[in-house]
Amino acid sequence: MAYSKDEIKQIADKVLNMCKADAVEVRFSGGERSATRFANSSITANLIEHDQEVSITVRYGQKTASATTHQFDDETLKRTIEAVQTLARRKPDNPELMPLVKPPQTYLEFDAALPSAVNFGPAERAKMVKVCTDICEKRGVLAAGYIPKFDWVDAGANSEGLFTYFHYADASFILTCRTPDQTGSGWAGTSGVKDIKNINAEMLTNVAADKALKSRKPKAIEPGNYTVILEPRPAARYLSLMLGALNARGAEDGRSFMSGKQRGETRLGEKVFGDNFTLRSEIGNPILRQSPIGQDGLAAKPITWVEKGVVKNLFYDRYWAQKQKKEPTATTPGMSLVMEGGTMSMEEMIKTTKRGLLVSFFWYIRPVDNMTLLNTGMTRDGLFLIENGEIVAPVQNFRWNESPAVSFNNITGLGPSIPMHTGEAYDNPGTALVPAMRLEDFTMTSISPAV
Amino acid sequence: MKRRDFVKTLSATGVALYASDLVGDLIAQSPKARVMDSRFKGLSDVALSEAKRLGCTYADIRFTRNVNDSVAVRDRIVTDSFGFGAGGMETSAGFGVRVIHSGVWGFASSPFVTEGEIKKITAQATEVAKASAVSKRFEVKLAPVEAYQDYWAVPVKQKPEDVSLDDKIAFLMKINEVALKVPGVIRVQSNMAFDFEWKYLATSEGSYIEQEIYRTLPGFTVTALKNGKAKSRTFSVAPKSAGYEVVLEAKMLENVERIANEAVEHCTAPPVGVGLKDLIMTPAHAMLTIHEIVAHPTELDRIVGYEANYAGTSFVKSSDVGKLMMGSKLFNVTCDRTLPGGMCTVGYDDDGVKSQRWPIIQEGRLVDLQTNRETAHYIGQTASKGCTFATSWRNYPFLRMPNVHVEPGPPGSPTPEQIIADTKDGILIDGRGSYSIDQQRFNGQFGGDAFWEIKDGKKTRMLSDVTYNAITTDFWQNLDATSGKESWEMFGTTGDAKGQPVQINHPSHGSPWVRIRRIMVGAAYS
Repeated sequence: MAYSKDEIKQIADKVLNMCKADAVEVRFSGGERSATRFANSSITANLIEHDQEVSITVRYGQKTASATTHQFDDETLKRTIEAVQTLARRKPDNPELMPLVKPPQTYLEFDAALPSAVNFGPAERAKMVKVCTDICEKRGVLAAGYIPKFDWVDAGANSEGLFTYFHYADASFILTCRTPDQTGSGWAGTSGVKDIKNINAEMLTNVAADKALKSRKPKAIEPGNYTVILEPRPAARYLSLMLGALNARGAEDGRSFMSGKQRGETRLGEKVFGDNFTLRSEIGNPILRQSPIGQDGLAAKPITWVEKGVVKNLFYDRYWAQKQKKEPTATTPGMSLVMEGGTMSMEEMIKTTKRGLLVSFFWYIRPVDNMTLLNTGMTRDGLFLIENGEIVAPVQNFRWNESPAVSFNNITGLGPSIPMHTGEAYDNPGTALVPAMRLEDFTMTSISPAV
Repeated sequence: MKRRDFVKTLSATGVALYASDLVGDLIAQSPKARVMDSRFKGLSDVALSEAKRLGCTYADIRFTRNVNDSVAVRDRIVTDSFGFGAGGMETSAGFGVRVIHSGVWGFASSPFVTEGEIKKITAQATEVAKASAVSKRFEVKLAPVEAYQDYWAVPVKQKPEDVSLDDKIAFLMKINEVALKVPGVIRVQSNMAFDFEWKYLATSEGSYIEQEIYRTLPGFTVTALKNGKAKSRTFSVAPKSAGYEVVLEAKMLENVERIANEAVEHCTAPPVGVGLKDLIMTPAHAMLTIHEIVAHPTELDRIVGYEANYAGTSFVKSSDVGKLMMGSKLFNVTCDRTLPGGMCTVGYDDDGVKSQRWPIIQEGRLVDLQTNRETAHYIGQTASKGCTFATSWRNYPFLRMPNVHVEPGPPGSPTPEQIIADTKDGILIDGRGSYSIDQQRFNGQFGGDAFWEIKDGKKTRMLSDVTYNAITTDFWQNLDATSGKESWEMFGTTGDAKGQPVQINHPSHGSPWVRIRRIMVGAAYS
């Protein structure tokens, strides 16, 4: 059961009253994290984790220290505060320490913890697994999947009187189907779902099973440059690779893809991507329903990062903004992220592709060169060759080396944006609205027979 | 412990390992190394008897308490955003109960260590198991294990909490000062992080095991900017399960200027281009390659499909044991949870299996795998190799890799210098860089932290844009030189992610210097 606003307020007030420092910040995080995991069509782990933590940051002038504890009894809180106060006094001044954010901050209000997600328990998750594995048995494939659920509160308070509280609940359904002969594998999933009725386990299972069956015995084709159609999951992972470059400090420091020609300059205002690439943080988006609490407790506001290929905003943390005489950016680049989609259906994209690859999943993406955003990764769980507008064969997986800085100039098709997690795992908030996308000249560098 | 005593412990750093919360009090009130007299014996029995009453066929309860502490200095500014946990000082304590009911696992965890909560969580874990039985296709089968009542601790020369914060900051600040004096350096971060883990495991099969582990991770990274290119260079320090001596013995200060100069040189180093080269890998680099394409594909849970939805499966099949050639005759690999200093070195795993050392590759041939109680039966073994681990009290335990080492060559093996002298057209690679591997651990692409051209037996100049491609079995078949035990070193990682929800493991990987002949380099940049 999640902590109520009143309960958090009481804990926060207790900490604020106990502290003797010049300034104090309290951050609370806690609730229930549960998950059901299955493999070989049988549940292998079903669990409920209860957790709570309070992080206390104290300041003496420009000196600061933080400590975190998971116990909230008076004695533990007192001891933690004493320890962190001792630590802070011993620290040298931190010239980058900014004053605490003051109220009032006006946060958008909306319900992000719907009853269906809050009450989504182990028995319901097990039944969902049963629906999935029964279909898999009929279709002759094996299921491996993950159904995580969060019922969580992130909150904060400071000695300036600021108080923030955000309660959310969501779940995901992530599935890999494999053929018993291990030559076919298919992925399907949905993530960050706030209303459980939007998880259609039956439909997703059939998609993953189809892919597994159709991807059996893939043939090897030559590496090279291909037109690729990325389904929303690989598109979301690929999109995430450029978020770090939106940091103004790294750009002005000369360490980033967004750095200008001279140190101190950036590419703000330049047309860096194609006309059809637009990226925003839509705080309060009714599908995402993600936190409206921004940097250090500032009220997050909608912001456009890239519009029709032009870099419109970079993220300034509060210290760097002050140093550079800019306004701080309340919204961090990953918040309520929406990439503008298009109207092309997947069928239309395939039909209008002369020769290309349909990609179900990207795996193990890692940076190769930060300044060019060159990354490498693998395809996985369903890769298909398209010729003359039709899927003609499953093909062996490819390693790719490519940069979104290049690819987002080469978008020739966009589907509607749907919720999809941008991270490698699915355990933290990170779902964005992302479209399927067709990219030209995507560099596949070697093949792997791995299925 | 009384409050006054607690305040006294703050004299060093403020990190009072046993006294910052009530769970710490319970530990402090328990006689050290007498597990059957511990306060946690009684608390454990609450869970075990409740599980028995509820019809569970197996149960265990694991209490853990971690104190993470870290300090970092970036550009002469003290920060704490680095370390094993979230950064700064974090104390995390609680318990997890794992049961088998109806042939299926159930798990629940909580930070409230009280008898009432233990009963409640045990009931919840049981309910979870019962609910899961609806979609059960097979039952959990555990390999038998002896019951132990034991205490085990990592030997520590100097406890990190006994070193003052002032001394730690001064040491890290000095690294900043030296590095920032080197022309071209624009950023430096030096850091040290400590993890103290206490855990108490009790099982329904009669084990009561208490363990104390220290882990220490120091290091520094320098970033340079020249001719519009920024490059970072990290001094590789082997993290170890040990105390502050890891910092003192790492020779960090002695290497700051060299590392800073190499960062600057890297900015203008010529790109390697595409082609076949001989690779000479230092132990600090080989560590990650061993981790990714030797250690991961030999985890039995991956091989039998448990990780198919996330970390992946493996190109290795369980039927390959005794048959598959993984590398050349020089390739010998050992799993080890016993060698002092190894990050995964413990007395017992989280199933209560005594730690051990065993070969998995001998003269290039796969001879065994990593197993735990749950998976041993898949390869017909009747005992676990002891590879179960959970990151903390809140996480369920499952199969995690132990320390996995490539063995040094026999007496008479070449020295690193002799390997370089014997190489006509190669690249020397140090430290870890970019790494990406397919879901069956067959196709890997690796970078590094720094690269040097080897021409006609001489180390000539730094190179840039180096990546190499490894098709696992071909790659190790091309291993044609390993240095001897004198140059064998153990490095490690604190970020081994696996499982859902993702859990972090901290394995060490030891290696001699190795040479791999004729490997494709530079393809990533082509």
